Amino acid sequence: MPTTLITGASRGIGLEFARQYQAAGWTVHAGARDPERADKLKALAGPGLTIHRLDVADRGQIAALGKTLAGRPIDLLINNAGLWVGEDERYGRFSDAQWMEQFHVHVMGTMAMCETFVENVASSEQKRIVQISSGNGSMGGRINVGDYPYNTSKAALNMINRSLAHDLAPRGIVAVCFTPGFVATDMSGPDADLTPQQSVGNMRALIETLGPQHSGTFLRHNGQSVPW
Amino acid sequence: MASVLITGANRGIGLELARQYAADGWRVHACCRNPAGADALVAALKGHDALVHPLDVTDAAAIAALRATLEHEPIDVLINNAGIIGGQHQALGDIDYDVWEQTIRTNVFAPYRVAEALVDLVAAGERRIIANVSSLMGSIADNSSGGRYIYRSSKTALNMVVVNLAQDLAEQGITVLAFHPGWVKTDMGGPNATVTPHESAAGMRKVIAEAGLDQSGGFFNYDGRVLAW
Repeated sequence: MPTTLITGASRGIGLEFARQYQAAGWTVHAGARDPERADKLKALAGPGLTIHRLDVADRGQIAALGKTLAGRPIDLLINNAGLWVGEDERYGRFSDAQWMEQFHVHVMGTMAMCETFVENVASSEQKRIVQISSGNGSMGGRINVGDYPYNTSKAALNMINRSLAHDLAPRGIVAVCFTPGFVATDMSGPDADLTPQQSVGNMRALIETLGPQHSGTFLRHNGQSVPW
Repeated sequence: MASVLITGANRGIGLELARQYAADGWRVHACCRNPAGADALVAALKGHDALVHPLDVTDAAAIAALRATLEHEPIDVLINNAGIIGGQHQALGDIDYDVWEQTIRTNVFAPYRVAEALVDLVAAGERRIIANVSSLMGSIADNSSGGRYIYRSSKTALNMVVVNLAQDLAEQGITVLAFHPGWVKTDMGGPNATVTPHESAAGMRKVIAEAGLDQSGGFFNYDGRVLAW
């Protein structure tokens, strides 16, 4: 069966990816910053699902996990870990430290994951990398402008994925950005219009269809193209 | 006369912008890290209504000091030009993360922080323009050659800053623009570049002169052509 490595798997969309891929029989490597407190993820631990301590803003932890998983094929790398702090990201209300933290998680963390696990993905059968981006990273879509740290770091994520798609094409790796929709999670709150089950179910179906023609694109969970 | 404030004005495109605005009779606030070493800038501004200010755009205290120096003087056009290229280690497998962080601070955070600090002076001006020197390298749609992760991501993020500022500052009548200056023959662009600093600066000045709120949040080539995100 295939193997996936998921960052930010303790809750929300990451947790649901872990749950669904485990249920589908995949081997799941689930990263969480604080495994001791990841109760919902711990409840899934067992045959086929391994929890790893992983803060993607910490390149030492990424390197350590790289050693742990060295030589094992990873069919699907899902860079899902992310953070959004809401109204404190509006004009005039955020610090450089807060802004940089989001760059470290969304941009440098994603890049370090891709650099570290590129051989694992290249040696797998499916060879897919999915970045969980956001419609708020779209300059053309203007879904909800105004959250500077989140929007700018997600736009930057979309750019690095575009370069990754180009640079990894010779190795047969497909790299895609997804926007999961407005999903009811701890991050988005109760006003969302999709359950994690629906969003992740849609994204899993979409992932199965991904080919080289999709690499470097930005897609909604239902497959619609999102403007840059 | 109108006034302009330019960051990174000691060389390249910033120097040429300062030179042209001064020659056109504008009051020029030319900012650079080390005015004592900015001989070309000082020479270009000699005899004009111009001031050179020390400003490391990544230094919050320096931005605050500049704001204090300017007191209540309106700034018609603010040009966030200072930028860095992100070093030599920008390829997959060879990324220098410390340089990446510094590049984000310089190319993304600094334009935002300078705009935030001077916004009331821009709002008090007649033109109310904040222009940001971005790059076509920051266009995701145009990225067909990959690589250059550090520089590209910083300019994409700057473009998003422009989109957000355009929305947030529209109430104050401020127009916010992103520019690709062209591939310009500067220290950064190298000798094989296709556009002279004079052409680039003259083009951007024309776009700035004609821009209003309808253009705010847009990404423009130096010749006025609209660019894809």
